[in-house]
Amino acid sequence: MSNIVTRMGDGSMLEMSEKELREDIEAGIEEAVDKGGVPPLTQDEIEYLVELFKRKERIVGVEMGNEVILTYDAATLKIKRHSLFEDRVNSLAIYERLLGADTTELCHVDYSYKMLKPIVSYEAGTLEQALSVTHAPMFYGAMPNLGLYTQPDGPFPNPMELLPQGKIKEGRAAYDEMVASAVEDIVFIAETMWEAGADGINLDTVGASGDPDFKASLLAVEKLTAKYPEMAIEMGMAGEFVLGMHGEMYHDDQRLAGLYPTEQLKLAEKAGVAIFGPVVNTNNTESTPWNLARTIALIKPCSEAATIPVHANMGMGVGAVPVTDYPPVDIVSRVSKAMVELCRLDGL
Amino acid sequence: MSDIFELAAKSVLEQDADLAMEQVKKHLDSGESPMILMEQGFIPGINKVGELFSAGKLFLPELMMAADVMSQASEKLMGALPPGSKSENADIIITAATVKGDIHDIGKGIGIAMFRANGFTVYDMGRDRANEDIIDDAVKHNSNFIATSALLTTTLGEQKQLEEMLKKAGLKGKIKTMVAGAPVTPRWASRIGADIYAENAHEGVVGIKKAMAAA
Repeated sequence: MSNIVTRMGDGSMLEMSEKELREDIEAGIEEAVDKGGVPPLTQDEIEYLVELFKRKERIVGVEMGNEVILTYDAATLKIKRHSLFEDRVNSLAIYERLLGADTTELCHVDYSYKMLKPIVSYEAGTLEQALSVTHAPMFYGAMPNLGLYTQPDGPFPNPMELLPQGKIKEGRAAYDEMVASAVEDIVFIAETMWEAGADGINLDTVGASGDPDFKASLLAVEKLTAKYPEMAIEMGMAGEFVLGMHGEMYHDDQRLAGLYPTEQLKLAEKAGVAIFGPVVNTNNTESTPWNLARTIALIKPCSEAATIPVHANMGMGVGAVPVTDYPPVDIVSRVSKAMVELCRLDGL
Repeated sequence: MSDIFELAAKSVLEQDADLAMEQVKKHLDSGESPMILMEQGFIPGINKVGELFSAGKLFLPELMMAADVMSQASEKLMGALPPGSKSENADIIITAATVKGDIHDIGKGIGIAMFRANGFTVYDMGRDRANEDIIDDAVKHNSNFIATSALLTTTLGEQKQLEEMLKKAGLKGKIKTMVAGAPVTPRWASRIGADIYAENAHEGVVGIKKAMAAA
């Protein structure tokens, strides 16, 4: 009998029987084990997920006392994304006072370190205003976004044009130059905003442009923490898997291409990151039980291996949350509960 | 597998053009048919590369270099064929294009490199091509497949329109369709009635071989 109501990764409603539910959970785990080389979930954990999806309540939650920190990245973008025309300072106050944010993040609409260089002094002024009207720790954040360093947006030859022409060496050389340039930009912005009073710096969507993007972020964190040992740097990833756009880029003798969350975390920790945000992207053609089982299987070993706080990314399109503008609360609450209780996260 | 076949496969896997050309020379000197080395050495090698790429164990630059090694070996071996002879898969004819309004062609380029590496005959129409032109090209070359790539949600609709145009022209089923591209999903392929969905170049090769086997 199909009586368990859940959703697909694109948010559409779906009814499943218990047998189908179990099959999807097992298939999601298998995908994680095959691709990520992680151990499978235990039978108890599978039963936990089955029971979670069988529950009839629209919203579920953790027991009192087991709440975790809610960290919001790119907060000032998300208010505007929903056509609420609040200024950034008020947006942060709304997050803190109405949405239960334990930390906030000021960001600019361009959300890329490179784009912030000409306006950083204005950003510092806005940060001071925002800090004066809120209490929660405030990050300043942006993406390394190495995509902005290639022609026509940046100075370097575009590897995506060079590689198909067989110019592999030239493409890789361009990536090497982009990394050096991105490190300078990240360090410049982070230093300025830290000096202006930010409680932390967020490097968001790290690895979006593949292994060079991750490399630039690790180098920038090393430089920043060498100069400012107190600086709290959060590193949020772009996906569960570092794409090999360069393919031969190493950090501490570790090849960056193809790394999954646990290996990503180890490098981030060593570089000096204070909070790590692993990401597993939602597959919109699979069900939420499939996506959640896969996400937990990939993130649980990362959380277990961590010596720093782990705040998994749980938003639209990541962490088994469906790819929709308004993620449905039945799924957001279920996947958040499961991630906290099974992965022992420190925050979301 | 004999040493020469193993070494040919290894040369593609390790993107070693010198090793590949050594095997080609040895094989041609032996007087054996050039196709044997392609089919038992180089094609298994490039297919393994495709599998590793799909599994995230090998990456874009290596894939491109492997395709280049394959292409050099293939050119030399094909050049040594007696006039009139061709690869076993040469009758698999594909018209490939990026759809109208879309200028992204990296994925299409990778797909075409893999198709050619498997001996398929490919007519690459480039990018930003209208469906009318794509169908005309497929008819002109008697293509078995039309493979389209769409990298934008705004250009996905062209793939749907292509299916409708093929139906209207009475070509649906005679020419099979493959859809690929970042926003393309199996669900989209099924909704519009495309015959093959390819998440990556390797899946494209497998999909075409399956479709040919089923025909």
